[in-house]
Amino acid sequence: MKHVPTVAWRELRSLFVSPVAYGVLSLFAVLAGLFFVLSVAAFLNYVLQLEQFQAMDQLEKVNLSDQLVAQFYDTMGVILLMAVPAITMGLFAAEKSNGTQELLLTSPLTIWDIVLGKFTAAAGFIAILVAMVAAFPGLLFVYGDPEVGKTVSGLLGLLLIGWTYVAIGAFASSLTRSMVVSFLITIVFLLVILLLPAIAEFGVLGRAGQVGDALTWLSTGEHFQQLLKGLVDTGDLAYFAVIIGSFLLLTKASVESVRWR
Amino acid sequence: MIEATNLSKRYGEIAAVDGVSFSVQRGEVVGFLGPNGAGKTTTMRMLTGFLPPTDGTARICGHDIFEEPLEARRAIGYLPEMPPLYPEMTVVSYVDYVARIKDVPRSARRAKVERALERCGLADVGRRVIGTLSKGYRQRVGLAQAIVHEPPVLILDEPTIGLDPIQIGEIRQLIADLAGGGGGEPQHTVILSTHILPEVEAICRRVVMINAGRKTVDAPLAELTSGGRGLEELFARHTARDLADEVKP
Repeated sequence: MKHVPTVAWRELRSLFVSPVAYGVLSLFAVLAGLFFVLSVAAFLNYVLQLEQFQAMDQLEKVNLSDQLVAQFYDTMGVILLMAVPAITMGLFAAEKSNGTQELLLTSPLTIWDIVLGKFTAAAGFIAILVAMVAAFPGLLFVYGDPEVGKTVSGLLGLLLIGWTYVAIGAFASSLTRSMVVSFLITIVFLLVILLLPAIAEFGVLGRAGQVGDALTWLSTGEHFQQLLKGLVDTGDLAYFAVIIGSFLLLTKASVESVRWR
Repeated sequence: MIEATNLSKRYGEIAAVDGVSFSVQRGEVVGFLGPNGAGKTTTMRMLTGFLPPTDGTARICGHDIFEEPLEARRAIGYLPEMPPLYPEMTVVSYVDYVARIKDVPRSARRAKVERALERCGLADVGRRVIGTLSKGYRQRVGLAQAIVHEPPVLILDEPTIGLDPIQIGEIRQLIADLAGGGGGEPQHTVILSTHILPEVEAICRRVVMINAGRKTVDAPLAELTSGGRGLEELFARHTARDLADEVKP
């Protein structure tokens, strides 16, 4: 495992000489700014409406954390879902099309060195994106008084769903030698995961009960919502650990499978 | 240094490589000869541990490629048919990266990278991005990556394919230098695959010929070309016979 940093560092450097990384960074920054402004506008509008209707009891409950920051994070979670596949599409697919897979697999590296190195690199990139998101609620602290706990746990939530998406994207990338195919598989997979609660609501095979609960549990959505509410629960953290771990295991098996074909 | 015992690779019904055994001693340069599709690349991939054999074993410097994979792989420098390059990296950072993953100790890394670049005639293009290099230079970068950790065993899959005559001459000279050692340097054991016969005559001392996955010839070059028979005739005879076999119902 000693080569994880070597592999991760090379991956990050390659990412930063490609236009994809800068494209994602700038698009993400623009969208984050846009949605933050929209969230602020919506918040002001909401407060104004409540004042007009003299809904004092509601007005008392209004706060920056729930009505603004959480909404903003929620939107950025969806943007992350679009950004991650662009970052992860090349992780393994590019090694195959470059022929460098043969170099990696004939070097004294373990498969875990390769898989964890690549995961670390993409996870690091996601951390940069989340840091960009963090700047916006940071502004709110200058002008207002949002709850620190919720602001931070929401960011943790974004980071964790981002890493979960990365693990899934890494697996998709290991299945193909084409970046486009890898991108599409990841997007489809992530959308399905996002929509699982909706599927559960319709009921699967006419039974909404346990199957529905299982589907909802599998989706990132509910666990993310808990963190947005400021509830850092071991159960939710374990969920992310389990999903990331499972997909890394699958990725390892997939990379290794070149040897057994 | 290299010991292949009964190596076989089957894909379903088709045997790509069928019971190939040979061994290569220290300092030898062996030409691995055969027509296209004979199983040269598959055999080399099995020697490097990239592909597991269906049957048989390969040992590199006494380490079984699957029992002690890390030790065996550390002893190999491998240039695949398509040089494994990252087009977006510079030559120096790429060769340095390969040195890292080949376990070259930190203290020796810089010197070894520089040496590899110099030996492959890359000193002047070290800061260039690999994607902008010509095919000949890319092949050299591929070779530099294979020798950077100064492995005792070099496995080169068609090292001169697609190069112009001058570049071919340079690469051959380089391979000959690597094998010869010279100046008290450690000798490399080289096995290189090719279907270009003059190449074998120019640098190899021994020939292993395979056809349709089977070994057909394993002899010193001098013995094969004695009596006025050219390598070409031998090659034609050995591949033609098998083709005739295949035509039979």
